[in-house]
Amino acid sequence: MLETRSERITGIGIYVLLGVVTLIVLYPLFFVLIASVSNPGSVIRGEVWLWPKGFSLIGYERLFGNKELLRGFMNTVMYTVAGTALNVVMTVAGAYPLSRADFKGRHFFTFLIVFTMFFGGGMIPTYLLIKSLGLLNTFWAMIIPSAVSVWNILIMRTFFQSSIPKEVQEAAFMDGCSNIKILLKVVLPLSGPVLAVMVLFYAVGHWNAYFSALLYLSDRDLYPMQLFLREILVQNQMQEMVDISDDTLARSLMDAEAIKYAAVIVTNLPMLILYPFLQKYFVKGVMVGAIKG
Amino acid sequence: MDSQTAVNKMAGKGGSMYKKNGRGSSRAAAWLRNWQLYLLIAPVLGYFIVFHYIPMYGVQIAFKDYIASKGITGSPWVGLKHIERFFDSFYFARILWNTLGIGVYELIAGFPVPIVLALLLHEVRSSKFRRFVQTVTYAPHFLSTVVVVGMLMMFLSPVSGLVNAVIVWLGGQPVAFLTEPSWFKSIYVWSGVWQSMGWSSIIYLAALSGIDPQLHEAAKVDGAGRLKRMWHINLPGIAPTIVVLLILNIGSILGVGFEKVFLMQNSLNMEASDVIATNVYRSGILGAQYSYSAAVGLFNAVVNFVLLLTVNRIARKMGGSSLW
Amino acid sequence: MGKQKRLRKMRGKWGPLTLSLVMAAGLLSGCSGSASEGEAENKTDKLANLNETGMPIVKEPIELTFFTGKSPTNGSKFEDTLIWKTYSQMSNIQVKFNLVPFETLTEKRNLALAGDDYPDVFYSARVGSAELARYGQQGVFIPLNDLIDKYAPNFKKLMEKYPDIRKGLTMPDGNIYSLPSFYDPDLLSMLIGTPLWINQDWLKKLGMEEPQTTEEFYKYLQAVKATDLNGNGKHDEIPYSAGGVTSLIDHMKGAWGLGTSGLGHKLVDVDPGTGKLRFIKTMPQYKEVLQFISKLYKEGLIDPEIFTIEGSALNAKGQAGLLGSTVVPNPETVMGRKEFTGLGALKGPHGDQLYAHVKVPMVHVGAFAITNKDTYPEATIRWMDYFYSDEGAKLYFMGKEGETYTSDASGNLKYVDEITNNPDGLTQDQALAKYFTWLGGSYPGFVTEKYFKGSETLPNSMAAAEKAKPYAVKNILYNFNYTPEETEVMSSIGKDIEDYTAEMEAKFINGSASFDQWDGYVNNLKKMGLDQYMSVYQAAYDRYQAE
Repeated sequence: MLETRSERITGIGIYVLLGVVTLIVLYPLFFVLIASVSNPGSVIRGEVWLWPKGFSLIGYERLFGNKELLRGFMNTVMYTVAGTALNVVMTVAGAYPLSRADFKGRHFFTFLIVFTMFFGGGMIPTYLLIKSLGLLNTFWAMIIPSAVSVWNILIMRTFFQSSIPKEVQEAAFMDGCSNIKILLKVVLPLSGPVLAVMVLFYAVGHWNAYFSALLYLSDRDLYPMQLFLREILVQNQMQEMVDISDDTLARSLMDAEAIKYAAVIVTNLPMLILYPFLQKYFVKGVMVGAIKG
Repeated sequence: MDSQTAVNKMAGKGGSMYKKNGRGSSRAAAWLRNWQLYLLIAPVLGYFIVFHYIPMYGVQIAFKDYIASKGITGSPWVGLKHIERFFDSFYFARILWNTLGIGVYELIAGFPVPIVLALLLHEVRSSKFRRFVQTVTYAPHFLSTVVVVGMLMMFLSPVSGLVNAVIVWLGGQPVAFLTEPSWFKSIYVWSGVWQSMGWSSIIYLAALSGIDPQLHEAAKVDGAGRLKRMWHINLPGIAPTIVVLLILNIGSILGVGFEKVFLMQNSLNMEASDVIATNVYRSGILGAQYSYSAAVGLFNAVVNFVLLLTVNRIARKMGGSSLW
Repeated sequence: MGKQKRLRKMRGKWGPLTLSLVMAAGLLSGCSGSASEGEAENKTDKLANLNETGMPIVKEPIELTFFTGKSPTNGSKFEDTLIWKTYSQMSNIQVKFNLVPFETLTEKRNLALAGDDYPDVFYSARVGSAELARYGQQGVFIPLNDLIDKYAPNFKKLMEKYPDIRKGLTMPDGNIYSLPSFYDPDLLSMLIGTPLWINQDWLKKLGMEEPQTTEEFYKYLQAVKATDLNGNGKHDEIPYSAGGVTSLIDHMKGAWGLGTSGLGHKLVDVDPGTGKLRFIKTMPQYKEVLQFISKLYKEGLIDPEIFTIEGSALNAKGQAGLLGSTVVPNPETVMGRKEFTGLGALKGPHGDQLYAHVKVPMVHVGAFAITNKDTYPEATIRWMDYFYSDEGAKLYFMGKEGETYTSDASGNLKYVDEITNNPDGLTQDQALAKYFTWLGGSYPGFVTEKYFKGSETLPNSMAAAEKAKPYAVKNILYNFNYTPEETEVMSSIGKDIEDYTAEMEAKFINGSASFDQWDGYVNNLKKMGLDQYMSVYQAAYDRYQAE
């Protein structure tokens, strides 16, 4: 493969540009890392910039010593696995029919679900509904009400429409495959990238979820990790809002500072690791060509 | 055939297929043939009906003076009273302007960046470098808002912040980034771009990997350079995804989130930082202003929805993908 | 843009509190436990079970469920703590505390009230006065007037001693729906809360006397800025810092004679000469206060970060010994610095000397509210009334003699060593959380110096209060209660006015608005509906006086 000079310059230009972008994005992340092992006082006073100051692992110690947090971590893992599985299945079930040009009623159905992105009854009717379904304060309250997202259905639908060639599906049809079979045997195998993306999006959504827990759960044993974290981290705002001079809160502010950065790192590490695993599904162009041929 | 037609064909622009039984197939037959698809989508529709449409009666609250013990139906109807209160409020113009301003700014600044990032990344051949860049750029997405704003305050502090230290070192005066109203929107938007560009590029990367590499082969044979190929193959190849996301983004323009703005607000930058969400929040502090917030929320939703419909129609007219 | 941001945008669009208001509910229209058959019979049974005085409260044990706010500093199971175990045995009432963390409290409370999903009592749940008025009117909270009269002798005595309590608790419809969190009005340091502290060591080093006037304070700040007092070769001393400028304004305004009604009313006070309400924020004296502070800011005597600094960052600066003066609860406990003294009331240029930074003793109006779902209201109020007595307060704050506290010859109580110097390395707060639940505040009860050992009772805080005493606000106006219609005015026009004054104050101080704009500022307030605001205020004040 010959590369012209201009091609090479473009190539280098791309590398440089990406390099710069990476550095800019990287610095704050690096900061979080060094702040998590620095003395909290130094961090807040703005004394930490390029390397840790006053080396201290207090944040991590507090995190791992917090039994509730560990429990929350396990809960979050379960919610994420179960929730994501349901999500992906539901999204495919919604996106595939909508992607078929011959699916009568697809415009109507699409409108129906998009409408719900804008208009809704609000928190309390939903809360009452969840309550009447008996889901309150159960594991399922974190899974079922968020079973699928319109946004993701649309993205997956678009992917099906633009990246899965009609000929392939038609060929299968002519071979006598039913719709479900086409979906399972033809479409899904070619959908590596979008499935990977969906797993990532939904998994991260579950991992960071706290609002539904806030609303629907009262049993601390069921709390996801993020809810505990917020209890620790949001104190700064609370102190200002309340005019009480109880200084037990004031003292615990410093603890919150200590934990803040360590918490960010520990709680997000799993998700950060997830992506590289899913990355390999993003290379699928080869397959399309092969089937076409 | 040249690459453009091939891509068009792939994107399904060549007209509808699947005319198995000829043009005159009856509607009933169409329904029957795809019964499995209806079955498939049924639980999804069921979910939306149960969890979104059933509670929708709650929308009425915006037009009533809600009394808990009377329930919604029992509460007195007041029509547009709450909406009028919203329009009449002293700061109405300001918060609308701020919300819209931030929304548009975010769109213009933030929408293209992930696309460009994805296009560039796609070209990188060294998978190590690519993975590194990807992981670094998408990591910020995970930082909670509280942490991000905390860092912003630290870096931009007029006294101890890194940015001002550099400015002073270069001979300038420290800039009051955090309290100058004119800086607020930029800081808000660009920190948002920083945080989400990697994450948002993921969708585009996935879409890019769905483009047939044979198109690129053909184009290279035709002598097209890298940039040309990006422009003529990659970009059109992910056009449907771009359009869908653009429509959805425009349809949430008034939806400037509460938390980040709230954390970044202070008395000095209020004139640029007060948005609809934070303003309504303060109304609610005294308690029990349900109907008012519902009315404002409804106003927001209606505006966003109208925008969505408009943009969707335009997209459809322009003969590309659209939501429906 | 990914799903996350989208979802967060949709849900977090209005934020916790506002979202909780964007709702509709009440499918169930007031179907709350009032089955009429045998009601009369039930009532006599219940009364028969009740002991009108003394312990236990009921002969046969009963169970109550409380919606309870939980501070992050408290433990997670109230029933396991010493005080509740002790009290449930004593009273024969088993209380189930459904804990709701403070930062989710507002949403959960709104959900509970609007969704008709609440238990017997709201305990330490920060129910606001507007909610009490609204839901009381709707019957969700029951009126306590008669119950207090018959079954709450301790609280009744308190109300007689301090008639302002009744004024502050009575809702516009004439009923009392809650019991408060009440600080002893004689414990001035509690009411001051956050004095203006000055660095005593630096005063000495500068050879200056403790400032008695605003002018002297100004000179002190100037001196701090100009001198390297911490001896590190850098001019990094910060003459004054705090979490925002409001605390300084609240302290300084007394030196111009403003704030005669205390901190319960930030925008309005009572003119000492005429006895009429006046809107402070447009008065010429107020302009002078802002001019004074703006002078300080311009000369670099106020921390430039004051508008954005967070509590923890301020404490960190204090810890590093950088502050010349500040406004915090107690520098000893939050910053570990012992060299600060609290200032008394500073005399202003016109001779005014008022210590205006005095809070309303009734800190939370709605600390304890009984709902219409409670089938044992008499027993419930007796349960709570105990804590307004001397014994009850002792149990709540100090626990059991010998187990959690010791008393010395003069009757002073002290926590045991296991709490103050925990052998397992727990901090005092962590040790306390095993036995008590008062950490974090907002509990119903009566807080006195005898039993409350918070930082406000430390010698330096008490000394500051002594200095402030002669000039402290004499006629503290407690909070006013508004009808739902009035609340609407207060949360629309009132909110706008509050926002505007807060913004303009900040701008006048940091110089982005010049004082030439003062008249424009006053006019804008009039345009916003200041007159209507004042008339609503006046109506509430009249009701308050009439009580």
